[in-house]
Amino acid sequence: MNPKDTFLSVRGQAIYWSAAILLIFTAFPFFWMLSTSFKPLREIFVSPPYLLPKDFTLANFARLFEQTRFLTYFKNSLFVSSSAVVFTMAIATAGAYSLTRFKFYGREKIASLILFTYMFAPIMIVIPFYVLIKKIGIANTHLALIMAYTAFCLPFSLWLLRAFFQSIPLVLEEAALVDGATRLRAVVHVILPLALPGIIATAIFTFILAWNDYIFVRILITSDNLKTLSVGIADLHNATVIDWGMIMSGGMLITIPVLVFFIFIQRYLIAGWGTGAVKG
Amino acid sequence: MSLWYGTYYSVSTIVLQIVIGLIAALILNEAFRGRNFVRGIVLFPYMIPTVVAIILWKWLLNNQFGLVNYLLLAVGIIENPLSWTGKDHIMTSLIIISVWEFFPFVVLSVLARLQTIPPVLYEAAKVDGAGAWSRFIHVTLPQLRNVLFVVILLRSIWMFTKFDTVWLLTQGGGAEKYIRTLPVYAYMRTFMYYQAGLGSTLAVIMFGILIASTALYFKMFRREEGI
Repeated sequence: MNPKDTFLSVRGQAIYWSAAILLIFTAFPFFWMLSTSFKPLREIFVSPPYLLPKDFTLANFARLFEQTRFLTYFKNSLFVSSSAVVFTMAIATAGAYSLTRFKFYGREKIASLILFTYMFAPIMIVIPFYVLIKKIGIANTHLALIMAYTAFCLPFSLWLLRAFFQSIPLVLEEAALVDGATRLRAVVHVILPLALPGIIATAIFTFILAWNDYIFVRILITSDNLKTLSVGIADLHNATVIDWGMIMSGGMLITIPVLVFFIFIQRYLIAGWGTGAVKG
Repeated sequence: MSLWYGTYYSVSTIVLQIVIGLIAALILNEAFRGRNFVRGIVLFPYMIPTVVAIILWKWLLNNQFGLVNYLLLAVGIIENPLSWTGKDHIMTSLIIISVWEFFPFVVLSVLARLQTIPPVLYEAAKVDGAGAWSRFIHVTLPQLRNVLFVVILLRSIWMFTKFDTVWLLTQGGGAEKYIRTLPVYAYMRTFMYYQAGLGSTLAVIMFGILIASTALYFKMFRREEGI
């Protein structure tokens, strides 16, 4: 073995160890949630704690479905997030198309102005938004929530889609137009299929943003049967006696859809993020 | 007081996020078996609902049954269980949770940039006899400057206006006074004391501070090559 190899292996070891520490730091809390959610009550509070449940049980999940309105919250979350995705994507796709294909006065200004709305955090817009919603008279409805998410997710989606559309060569469309296709046909048959991966990725981002939201639901929704999961789970924790097993199982179930989608779009993330959303 | 808590919170979380995120991105840029798997896992905390992050950590940091206290006691670092959500440590807990939840954003952005650095630059530096450290300082960092500029800007804006993480941690603690940042204060004034005027004023003040610091930041660090 020459000296260079030993150097490499020391270096390799260092990398492995640091990667392992990183993995534990990020993954262990999830593992602990998973483990706790399958433990019977007495094992949850035992000291020293067991790493894995000894008596594997589904009792926590059963309590979650029986004693709380988890299913209602779940349906609400699904409905509101999906509707927000549909509206956002309809507007953002058209908007991103026009921002990349049509030349009009102030186009680039509008594009950077959209980025500028990143500065408005939810907490700043939620107060005037609430006042508006009250005036219109749709406070405490899912419609208000869907509108809020669409407004909130739009800048991000528009910006991301714009980057995707920019990467599609203009020539393709022009060829279709020369062949006598109308613009609508050119968009539907040439551009949309090419942009589909980008559109799917953006839709999933939007879904995750809406699904994860807490503040808009907290403020716009007051009746219990309209609440979504984030607020539902948070309220479980505000009970006088905290049922950790049940909360952990709820946490598990709310996380799963996000993680499934996330694994699906992961490859777009690493490759597309730097050029798309952040660098513009 | 809220301004002070808010500034303390954002500055410390941003510094930690950037440092940890940068190191993590450098590790994940190296070739090793299972790299894609680790890359995926590391991004998890950023993707999950904040509510989940909070309940996870509240359970880990629980003063009676929490795993963190158990481990610290077992190793002998502390003698009595710490009250992580009590007034002395709640800020520390908040910072730990926020850094955990948001550092993946830094990893994501930095990693994407790292992958586009041409390997030729490193080879040239090696030929010139540069060690690992000086390669990092003279090749990697200058290449990362633009992305770090944007990341720090975005993260500062987002941490300074962070509401849900802070608010959810204060729930049921009794020590909420000690982490009452500006966004939380604005929320409480508006929706608990029904002083929407005062709440909006606070939001406008926040916005003003953001604009002023962003302008200052651009003036200090913006390079002519742009972003």
